[in-house]
Amino acid sequence: MIQVQGEYETLIPIDEYLAAGVHIGTQQKTNDMKPYIYRVRTDGLYVLDVQATDKRIRLAAKFLAKYDPSKILVVSARQYGQHPATMFSKAIGAMAKVGRFIPNTLTNPDFRGYVEPDTLIATDPSGDAQAVNEATDASIPVIALCDTNNMTSNVDLVIPTNNKGRKALTLIYWLLARQVLRERNEENRFKYTISDFEMEF
Amino acid sequence: MKEEIPEKCISCGVTIAGAGGARFPCPSCGTVIARCNRCKKQSNVYTCKVCGFAGP
Repeated sequence: MIQVQGEYETLIPIDEYLAAGVHIGTQQKTNDMKPYIYRVRTDGLYVLDVQATDKRIRLAAKFLAKYDPSKILVVSARQYGQHPATMFSKAIGAMAKVGRFIPNTLTNPDFRGYVEPDTLIATDPSGDAQAVNEATDASIPVIALCDTNNMTSNVDLVIPTNNKGRKALTLIYWLLARQVLRERNEENRFKYTISDFEMEF
Repeated sequence: MKEEIPEKCISCGVTIAGAGGARFPCPSCGTVIARCNRCKKQSNVYTCKVCGFAGP
């Protein structure tokens, strides 16, 4: 079991993080993600540090609260991230591009679907590589949910989490939405439960 | 008042000319951080000079 150092108070009980599988990594690790890895299990699975995830959610929320919500873009090519990303954007008033990210969306003003966000949230930097690369070309800071096997190239703020699990993505986006509204002192506007963010089969 | 934009990459110190790289407020304290394209691509660690926050 993951031990919490000191008296750090997490946003939700640690058990809820563990139940959603936020800490479950992959059997690969990258050098970029080393600081966020807590241990390696006997079966070779790398386990993420939940406390680091919690801290990064707080920081990311603080960061996002500084931006105009309509200028925040959330992208998710991953199926399990599409509904949570859409709900997140609805909750905080941001833009969402789920499914295939059409090239030129951030770089070509002549393109019909062109948008000019101030910051980008990627569900998976490898799956959403097109969006991350275009954001880099457009000098837009990138926040990404990164698993143990992700490289953090072109990412400005990493949220270490399991970005493959349905429940993990649901919990992370729900927490992030709630925390952003808390930072903006609009928590009473947040009326969603975790199940509202959950992708249905 | 217009916010002053730092011209040098916080990781390597190179002068950032024109577009490229990224400028964003420090997630912890809000001080403006600038990163050059190369440091972004190589995922070099940046540390906020005011609060000591280390990213990415």
